[in-house]
Amino acid sequence: MSLAIITAAPFCLALLLALPQTRAQLSKSAQTLLSAGLMAALFAWLVGSFPMVQAERVVIQQLDWVPALGISLSFYLDGLSLLFGLIITGIGALIFFFAGYYFDDAAEYNRFMVWLAGFAGAMLALVLSGNLLMLFIAWELTSVTSFLLIGFKGRKESAAREGAFKALFVTSGGALALIIGLVMLGAAAGQIASPEASGGFVADLDVILQLDTLHEHAWFPLFAILILLGCFTKSAQFPFHFWLPGAMSAPTPASAYLHSATMVKAGIYLVARLSPAMYKNALWTDSLLSIGLLTMLVGAVFAVKQSDLKGLLAYATVSKLGAIMALLGLPGQAGIKAALVGIIAHALYKSALFMVAGTIDHAAHTRQISRLGGLRAELPALFWVTVVSALSMAGLPFFMGFVAKETLLDAMLHYSAPSTGLVMLATLLSAALAALAAYMLIGDVFMGRRPQDLRIHKPPAPIYYGPALLAVCSLAMGFLLDSLVIPLLRLAVPKSFSLPLFAGFNEVFWMSAGVLAAGALLYRVRKPLIRRITFPLSGDSLFREFIAYIDWAGSALLNFQSGYVRYYLVWILGSVSLMLVVSGIFSTVTAGQTLLPQDLSVTATDLAKIFMLLLAIVAAVLTVVLREHVKAAIAYGVIGYAIGVIFLINHAPDVALVQLLVETMATVLVIIMLGQIRPAARLKVIHNLWDGRHSYNFGFLRDLGISIVIGLAVFVFSLIALQNRPERRSISEWHLENAALVDSEDAVGAIVADFRGTDTLLEIAVFTTAALGVLTLLARGRIGSKQFMPGKAPAGLNGEANENIQDATSLSTPFTRLVAHFVLPVAILIGIAQIFYGSSGPGDGFTAGVTIGLAVSLWYVVLGYDEARRQLPWFRPEHFVRLGLVIGIVNALFPLLLGQGFMGHVQFDKALGIYDLVSSFGLHITSALVFELAIAITVMGGLGIIIEAIAYPLSRVAADEGLSTVGSGE
Amino acid sequence: MIEFMFALAIGILFGIGVFQLLRRDLIKAAIGFAILFSAINLFFLAAGAFEGEAPPYLSNVLAGRPTSDPLVQALILTAIVVSFGSFSLVLGIVNIISQRYDTVDSNDVTQLKH
Repeated sequence: MSLAIITAAPFCLALLLALPQTRAQLSKSAQTLLSAGLMAALFAWLVGSFPMVQAERVVIQQLDWVPALGISLSFYLDGLSLLFGLIITGIGALIFFFAGYYFDDAAEYNRFMVWLAGFAGAMLALVLSGNLLMLFIAWELTSVTSFLLIGFKGRKESAAREGAFKALFVTSGGALALIIGLVMLGAAAGQIASPEASGGFVADLDVILQLDTLHEHAWFPLFAILILLGCFTKSAQFPFHFWLPGAMSAPTPASAYLHSATMVKAGIYLVARLSPAMYKNALWTDSLLSIGLLTMLVGAVFAVKQSDLKGLLAYATVSKLGAIMALLGLPGQAGIKAALVGIIAHALYKSALFMVAGTIDHAAHTRQISRLGGLRAELPALFWVTVVSALSMAGLPFFMGFVAKETLLDAMLHYSAPSTGLVMLATLLSAALAALAAYMLIGDVFMGRRPQDLRIHKPPAPIYYGPALLAVCSLAMGFLLDSLVIPLLRLAVPKSFSLPLFAGFNEVFWMSAGVLAAGALLYRVRKPLIRRITFPLSGDSLFREFIAYIDWAGSALLNFQSGYVRYYLVWILGSVSLMLVVSGIFSTVTAGQTLLPQDLSVTATDLAKIFMLLLAIVAAVLTVVLREHVKAAIAYGVIGYAIGVIFLINHAPDVALVQLLVETMATVLVIIMLGQIRPAARLKVIHNLWDGRHSYNFGFLRDLGISIVIGLAVFVFSLIALQNRPERRSISEWHLENAALVDSEDAVGAIVADFRGTDTLLEIAVFTTAALGVLTLLARGRIGSKQFMPGKAPAGLNGEANENIQDATSLSTPFTRLVAHFVLPVAILIGIAQIFYGSSGPGDGFTAGVTIGLAVSLWYVVLGYDEARRQLPWFRPEHFVRLGLVIGIVNALFPLLLGQGFMGHVQFDKALGIYDLVSSFGLHITSALVFELAIAITVMGGLGIIIEAIAYPLSRVAADEGLSTVGSGE
Repeated sequence: MIEFMFALAIGILFGIGVFQLLRRDLIKAAIGFAILFSAINLFFLAAGAFEGEAPPYLSNVLAGRPTSDPLVQALILTAIVVSFGSFSLVLGIVNIISQRYDTVDSNDVTQLKH
């Protein structure tokens, strides 16, 4: 449990900081103390857990997450996790504190800290996770939060956007490889852990790390490479190193935290974490060693070439990360001690140096090394912090960095392979370059003369506290090896080892001294030397070219997009029909089937059905050939009615009722909408389609061909499906027999309102969404439309009025008004009856809602929009929708209180003791009834929204548009 | 025989719906869209596991009369309401296009790419 709390704490901090109340109530310094204090407390807790880890070696805590899939929130604390956890929380506390003084603007600080705290949580989750999948999720979270942190200034600086994009692109690209690798690793581990149950998946670290034959598995090369790709991209290894310098556009506290101490170490953490199970395969160690050494060298060379202070630190970090990777790649885990010491030393001095760079940026408003100089007099405290940290970086005796370099050289020296000489050369060269970079930090920035135009404003004193404390640690840690560092390392290093501060005047010492001297020598001749270093190729330019190719491919694809939506459909359906024809699927499907009817006898009802089908087909053909839209719409209505009658003949009265009502509604909607479209526009398309010289041109034949192929396919497939459908072996039987269980006479109603009630609940939600879509389209979309602006009505309108729909006023005769007034109450009565007796006869919530909606739409047609709105003040569709959905959901949740499932069946009448009373009226008051009511109210409201939106008078649109231009003052 | 007729009608209706969708006239395209739904609902009906002589009511079951398949009916019931929702959305889009571009000819609607 406690590890879960530790991991959750930074996330909670992020949420707390994100609250508007926090921003309003807490001052910047209070927020600083809160955040830094929390991290310090977590640090203290982790320190306190030291004896527990010492006693148990590995602490595992689990919370069930998705038990069915074997995924749990599993936490794993051993020496390695503890070391990383201490770095994350300890350095985190100092950096959180530093950030409070780095930012001048409180709002900006707050926004930054929300993401930084989120990042800290993700990082802690990563190193404390005991499950590969959870580790991966945390891994991705660090990518996302670091994207937000790097791009923090993205609103103003394009470099920040570019850097953030680059970092995300590279690290999440690597993460794609990583997840595949981890899944394969888990599957391989599953095969090894339980050979009899093949196909198992093991994601738990404690199981995986116990396996000793993983490195012999057939998939090892594949998943090892994939996992290493993920780690190399994350830890900025060559050739993926270029994102790290790009990420320097982040605010300095983020760079100090993410890009020196934490995120870039995630790859190293994972490599170190998996090494016990992987190191016995030479592929693993050789890749680590070669890529690590290459990165170390390249990073060191690039570092001294940088003109930007943070760029220098970034490349020095790349170099150091490479060295650590190479150490982890030494055979037999020989380098793990040196790697861990290196991680500690690097975290201490590099975070301090990044904060120094940030302070200089804050004080001098530049980070260009050439524009800096002589800062020693102005910022003496900063100078001493820099001296201590830079000398630790260079590896001067008795600093922590010295210990790190001694162990590094020692480990490399003991690597006995034909290439040892080469490895030593690379190591010594990059160590000398690191010393040079450290000297440059001190000499070029703080010594010498101050440039004339450099103005310094003194930063607040607390900004020094963090870096100063780290510098003290760099200095003191070397003397506290026995009491602090060695006990911690003993938990993480598998073999016994010794770690003296000073191992005597052996060959390692002389090499180390030689490196320092070489660095000093290089410092004397650095300017002409550095100018000579040029590279024909950089990872950055390769990346740009890669992105340019992606862009090119994207724009090439864009050429297929003509902008004519109709042709998109032609392409899609055309390809489908081409595939249908070419693939020979017709002959495959029809193999062994008789397509033509054998038995030509028909019963009387069949004859009636066939007649209605023919009617539907004729009407459908009419919708095509009738030129005028109104007639086509009426023909469409005929299709609907014909199908409704077929439903009726097929003994489906509920469906027939809904079909007839809905088709009526749909036809009415089409006709209302036709009245909203300018007749000239409609006439124009009729003219274009029918009166043109080429009315039967290529396009017509193409569309006809596509439709025939698709129609044919649908015909063949449905015929085969219908001929081979299961007879009497479906769940329908069960539904029929058990309708009585839910007090329903009507099996269809029982299915809709009870057995499959959740489907129905979702379906009315979909319907409501569609209705709201119409509302949004018509309410917002109309603003900005060009038509019906005063003075814009085209001439020649009058001559084309022959197809005009009569407008509302001419439909409003005394008779039609009477009908409308009469119909509505009747419809409401019918609706109520359908709700209450839905379980015992045709009709249910849908039909009730549609019936009332239809009656209301009659009002809109007869009386017009304004009059209908005025006369029906109670008809507020948006309220109905809300009410209906709330009733539906509450009704669905209520059975949970009674210990039943979601949408369970509740008999309210029995519970209230009025069962006999109400059933004498043929009523059953159950949860299904309440649900029918909810459906009816929702459907009625949704219909109302659609009607109101579509019937909204066009004359109003222009007025609204005027209002909206006034209203939106942007 | 009746299955063949149903399949034929479904195929023809579907083909006509597709044809309408492919043509330039947006109002007819909307109608074609609705015809597609009708064809699909017909298919659901015809795909029922059994045909009966009476509606699927409990009293009919108890009386021993073979009833029609209630499951497909429930499916169609749901499908009709959802298809009506999408149809009204299509009508809304046609309505908006006709006012933005002053046309119901999809060949005149050229600015959707941007």
